[in-house]
Order: sequence, then structure tokens, then C-alpha cells
Amino acid sequence: MAVRRIEVRERVMARNDELAADVRRILRQSGVTALNLVSSPGAGKTLLLERTLERLDEELRMAVVTGDVQTQNDADRLARCTSELVQAVVTHGACHLDARQVLTAMEAVDLPSTDLLFVENVGNLVCPASWDLGEEAKVVIFSVTEGEDKPLKYPKMFANSRYAVLNKIDLLPYVPFEMDRAVAAAREVNPDLEFFFTSALTGEGMEAWLELLRGLVRSPAPA
Amino acid sequence: MHEMSLALEVCRIAEGQVGLDRLPQVTEVGLLVATEAGIEIQNFRFCLEALLTAPPFVNAKPALERCPGDDLRVTYLEVDDGSPED
Repeated sequence: MAVRRIEVRERVMARNDELAADVRRILRQSGVTALNLVSSPGAGKTLLLERTLERLDEELRMAVVTGDVQTQNDADRLARCTSELVQAVVTHGACHLDARQVLTAMEAVDLPSTDLLFVENVGNLVCPASWDLGEEAKVVIFSVTEGEDKPLKYPKMFANSRYAVLNKIDLLPYVPFEMDRAVAAAREVNPDLEFFFTSALTGEGMEAWLELLRGLVRSPAPA
Repeated sequence: MHEMSLALEVCRIAEGQVGLDRLPQVTEVGLLVATEAGIEIQNFRFCLEALLTAPPFVNAKPALERCPGDDLRVTYLEVDDGSPED
């Protein structure tokens, strides 16, 4: 039997990156800013989004694509906080969203009537770092209950993010967490990371985060 | 476990190269896996072996080559086309 070699040299992520480029192009043509929210499970992504939707519902037109391994619980929670569309993506075991899923979910979004699209990724600080979803920027969320060295343990996620939200700061009196160490660890892997310090539960620090979102909508990336 | 997602994508690339009906003839899949690609190499190999030795593949083996950087790509396919040796 003759064994023949076929040269390929195709990047494994090429198809995802093509679809992510499609997502980015469609969003920019529609003037929609998309943020990919990533974190470990339990860092507070959904509550941050709930409060964001409630506070900005009168000002901005927002849509959400929310991914979960199982259940539509987060989508149900978020839908109660906004009159805009919340689209659930159940990954059935997959540990991240990919660009194809976002592109499909976007078909239900009225893009010309949307300013801001949040993509709430599956709770996981490893895999979502490798998948471009066509977003304008990744926002990594971590909380004061997780340890200051999280950025050093998961450097790719922090390196690939433009913004970091350090959440649950209302718990600082009760946990041995040194804010300066956490920020230094994050800046060690990404010196350009822009930080926000929030308690989505009490509302502390939320205004700076909301002002960032208003600014991104006022000055969207050029098409 | 994004290694399984990536392994599935490797299978999709192989199918695109040779066609679904010729996948049983693929005997080896060459891959370049860079050290900063964010992949746990043993896990990735395990996923590839699980997929490449099951239908529609039959007995293809992954051949992983490491390199610096963050690249991840399929470099070649070896196909037993059933014809006599040259």
C-alpha cells in the first residue's frame, strides 16, 4: 500500500478566526460595541450584568448573549433586568463560546437598534482566552475571594483582556485579600490593563464601570 | 476542556482536505503545537487519539511536534490511498 503525504499547514483556529472577523465586521457596520465578559465561575459576571442592565436601561440599547454549560438560569436572570434581548447559548459541556455560536446568536439581535452587545462567556479562566469571538474587547472579572495571584495563574486571560473588573469589594473586610498585590500581579502580565473596582451587590464602584460603557458607545470603533 | 474542541477542529480540517469518504485512509495527522498555544499536550493527544481511531477515521495517529511561540496548525496528513507501492 502506498502512503502519501498531503501538506496542509492550516491553523487549527483559522475557521473560528474567520467567523470572528465576520462578527467584528457586522458589528462595526452596525455601530455596535461588543464586550466579551470572562471570569472563573462565581466571580460575579451575571450580577454585574444585571446591575449594568438596570442602571443603563434608559440610556443605552443593550443586548446580551450569555453562554452556560447547562441551564438558561443566567439568561432568565438577565431578562428580568432589561427590556432588550437576552439570548442564551447552552454549550452542553463545551467550556467556552466560539465565534460560530456568537454569529448564530446575533441573528436574533436587532443590530441597528443596539448600542452595546455583552457576551457573557462560560465561567472559565482558561479556554475562553484562546477563542476570538469578534468582540471589541475582553473584560476579565475576578473577585476578592479568589486570591491575588489569579492573574499569574491564568496569564493568557489577563494578557488578552483590555479591562479588568475586581468585583465583590464589599467583602474586603472579611477576606485576606491585598488589592495592591492583585493589581500588581495583573499589571505584570498586562501593563495596559484598565482596572475597575466594584461591588455589583452594593453598587460601590459601579459608576466608573458604567461611565466606561457610555464612553465606548459614544466612541465606537470605526467600521 | 478546549483540547477536545481543538481536536474536533483538527478532524474538520482533515475532512476538508481529503473528504469524508477518504477519512478511513488517513494514517497520520501531523500537528505543530507551540509551547505557548495554551494547550495541555497530553490532554490534546488523548483527545486526538480518541477521535482519530474512531469512525469515520479508523487508525490515524496524531504526530505532535513542539515549537516556540503560540502557533497551532495541522501540518500534514498521511493517507494510505490503497494503490500499490511505486
